[in-house]
Amino acid sequence: MIASVAQPFRAALVAACALAAVACGTPPSPQAIASTGPVFTPARATLGEAARDFFRIRPTATQPIPFPHKTHIAKGLTCTDYCHESATKGPVAGLPSVKTCMICHDAIATDKPLIQQITNLQKSGRDLAWQRVYGYPNESHVRFNHAPHIRANVECSTCHGPIAEQTVAERNVNLTMGFCVNCHRQKNAPNDCLTCHF
Amino acid sequence: MQRRDFIKLTAITGTTTALASCGNPEHQLIRFIPDDELVPGVAEWKPSVCPLCAAGCGLTVRVMEADAEVVRNGEHGLVKIAAAKKLEGQPDHPINQGGLCVRGQAAIQLTYHPDRITGPLKRSGARGSGEWKPVTWDEAIAELVSQLDGIAGEPTELTCLARPRRSRRLELMTAFLRGFGAQAPLPFEVFDDNVLRRANAISFGREQLPTYDLARSRYVIGFGADFLGTWNSPVAQNAGYGAMRQGHPQTRGTFVQVEARMSLTGASADEWVPIKPGTEGVLALGLAHVILANKLRPDTAARAGGAIDGWSGGLSPYSPADVEKITGVAAKRIERLARELVEHGPAVAIVGGAPLAHTNGLFTALAVNALNGLLGAVGQPGGLSFMPQPASSSPEPPRAEPARERDSFLPPTKVLLIDGVNPVFGSRKALKARDAVLAVPFIVSFSSFIDDTSILADLILPDHSFLESWTDSLPESGAAVAVVNVSAPVMRPLHNTRATPDVLIEVAGKLKKPIALPWKTFDEMLKASMPEAAWTAAQKNGFASEKDGLKANPESRIPTTARPAMYEAPQFDGDANTYPFHFLPYASQALYDGSLAHLPWLQELPDPLTSAMWSSWVEINPATAARLNIEQGDVVEITSTQGSVRASAMIFPGIAPDVIAMPVGQGHESFTRYADKRGVNPIAILAPVAETGTGGWAWAATRVRIARVGDPDGSLIMFAGELREHPHEHETR
Repeated sequence: MIASVAQPFRAALVAACALAAVACGTPPSPQAIASTGPVFTPARATLGEAARDFFRIRPTATQPIPFPHKTHIAKGLTCTDYCHESATKGPVAGLPSVKTCMICHDAIATDKPLIQQITNLQKSGRDLAWQRVYGYPNESHVRFNHAPHIRANVECSTCHGPIAEQTVAERNVNLTMGFCVNCHRQKNAPNDCLTCHF
Repeated sequence: MQRRDFIKLTAITGTTTALASCGNPEHQLIRFIPDDELVPGVAEWKPSVCPLCAAGCGLTVRVMEADAEVVRNGEHGLVKIAAAKKLEGQPDHPINQGGLCVRGQAAIQLTYHPDRITGPLKRSGARGSGEWKPVTWDEAIAELVSQLDGIAGEPTELTCLARPRRSRRLELMTAFLRGFGAQAPLPFEVFDDNVLRRANAISFGREQLPTYDLARSRYVIGFGADFLGTWNSPVAQNAGYGAMRQGHPQTRGTFVQVEARMSLTGASADEWVPIKPGTEGVLALGLAHVILANKLRPDTAARAGGAIDGWSGGLSPYSPADVEKITGVAAKRIERLARELVEHGPAVAIVGGAPLAHTNGLFTALAVNALNGLLGAVGQPGGLSFMPQPASSSPEPPRAEPARERDSFLPPTKVLLIDGVNPVFGSRKALKARDAVLAVPFIVSFSSFIDDTSILADLILPDHSFLESWTDSLPESGAAVAVVNVSAPVMRPLHNTRATPDVLIEVAGKLKKPIALPWKTFDEMLKASMPEAAWTAAQKNGFASEKDGLKANPESRIPTTARPAMYEAPQFDGDANTYPFHFLPYASQALYDGSLAHLPWLQELPDPLTSAMWSSWVEINPATAARLNIEQGDVVEITSTQGSVRASAMIFPGIAPDVIAMPVGQGHESFTRYADKRGVNPIAILAPVAETGTGGWAWAATRVRIARVGDPDGSLIMFAGELREHPHEHETR
């Protein structure tokens, strides 16, 4: 009797330990990324990554500089003026390169330490390594195109929350399928599966 | 607590601990400032030119934003680039008309290949060891310049090997070599079609491959030419063939293929006529005999017939009964085919490939040309014609010279430049190409990959991929109008490579005795080579044709000097008793002549007839296999007078009982991770037999024996099951 209880118990323990060991590996080195790069696979690189994905645990984005959205919007800039102008032209809103910052900050607020930081960055040939706050991984089999939404005058804040009140962008809206479908119903936008899943 | 709950809890706790104990999983790489201005997610289509074969199909390339991993100032990081993502046929191109063959589709892998050479390399170990030391471009060019300065007193010691495909690039190389005092580049091509060019010069006054108007043909008879697969301008011919079969509401054109081994083209035919290798020309004259004897066409119709002995006398030695004895094709069938050819015109005959690689290849080509003349197919709708060629503005390119059997592979050489060819792989053993290359004191390769030949180089100056550089070609066939392909780079170079024409221009200026080339860059040369309007059109479309103001050469007449050709039985290397089988190497649908074996998409492409992939195989008739106790997949040894190779047996119903066939393409000693030491190379055992009329290499004139040496060793990889044969469906009509 004791043996029969111990058997599944031990198995579960071994599985849990193995999971812990795999999930806890050090982040892959750039070389390791390079070697997995050219091959597309829907599989996750580690069991930990798969588990996080399954439980919808998203890492909080860490931005290279604490970009104050609030300040820029208060100055009268709109989202699509320079920084996310691709949103009006195509599917992806895009994250601005340091070149975009320097269009204005070549002359404006050049004495601020953050601005000096990005000026130096540009001088060294480096770009701002922004991290995405919104967006879907490839595997979620859904596509989103910004341009038609902008043409339909959907406010940016509808999907992205009150960015005008935020410094660094935060993910306040949970973009589930229900969220999309509700809005599409209200606005009489197409609800065919192939509108988004193609 | 229940036992079950306890176990569940343990598992959940373990998982949660595993997740909680990990930090931020995002791995951050440095980002560099991009050079391109891009709208993310939006594709741009840019023109380009397919570089894989001589057909010269136009491409459109989908270019989109991508992240590239690069090293800048010694730092590893990411940068956004405009990257080519997909190749398609250019819809307006006069040759491919929007089509693109499977090899062309895979050409994108040339750019992103993981084993591309990423910068100039200097040999650091013994020759062939594959040990290299990265050097800077300045060092590499200085090295080449000093080597060339070293032989300035004996300029003919500089030799260049290149593909003899017409292009401005080849003209620039020629100008460089002539300026130095050396010979024009030595052409190297495995399947070179020079016999057909020579025959066309004799029959029609054009030393050129023909263009077929298949769309308007009603009856096509092919002699060994794999024109829907790998031969001549396959995409153009496929488009025409499709129109012939399905483009006319009332009539479906008829197609008959004559060959000893069923090719992809033969598999599409209404009627497949097996024939003894090397006797295809006799069948063509047999058909002509029936037409002449029955006065189905006036014999004056065939000017080309003058090149055939006995033409004016009605070809009396080629009666159907005589032809049956020589070719093995039934006399009744010959009579019927001849009548069909005349009754169901416009008809055209196509010859190419193995029939012209016998000792009597020129005779075969002339015989088919004469048949075409008799059928009234020359220069007529539904027949064959010759594509007008653009006027040359710079030094004459090397003529596709009949490659005379040379005593040695290379002339006396101290510095060898190798551009886009792999002669160590592609030439028969008897030529000792490897030894000849090794004997050269200094070898420079412009290759993007370490292959069987470039591994012997002392210096590798890697070229850009075709998508990263100015690319051009001057197609010889496939359209009714003159076409020049010129395209600008569609993306920035991924690696530290340089365009070979620009490297040559730079070297020319740095020599002690500089070569005066009239251009500062390759694109300047391309621009100077065509009228302004054509240049503008080429920028937009990737090609210019006559309607863009391109000027074509007036038709040049080549004097016909040859005495009338007479049938001589083909000669084969190897005694028929010891070596009872004809050996037929053929261009692989995927790997072509082996130059594409490094592209994994093509390696994994199942051969359309056998479904084999990633491997070498030997095609053998089921009856022959049964007689020799050979079963599917068994390891067999093919032996010629030149040596032997081992590969897996493929029991193949579409082959004559006395013929053994093998695809060319595998068997590289060195050619990236995908082709290294994979399969075997049939070229290695081909005999040095010459085509008698031109001196070219008769690569189909080798005899072999075959023996089973072992059970299946797992090297034959097939996508699908066995090849079925339905004998009742193809009884001789």
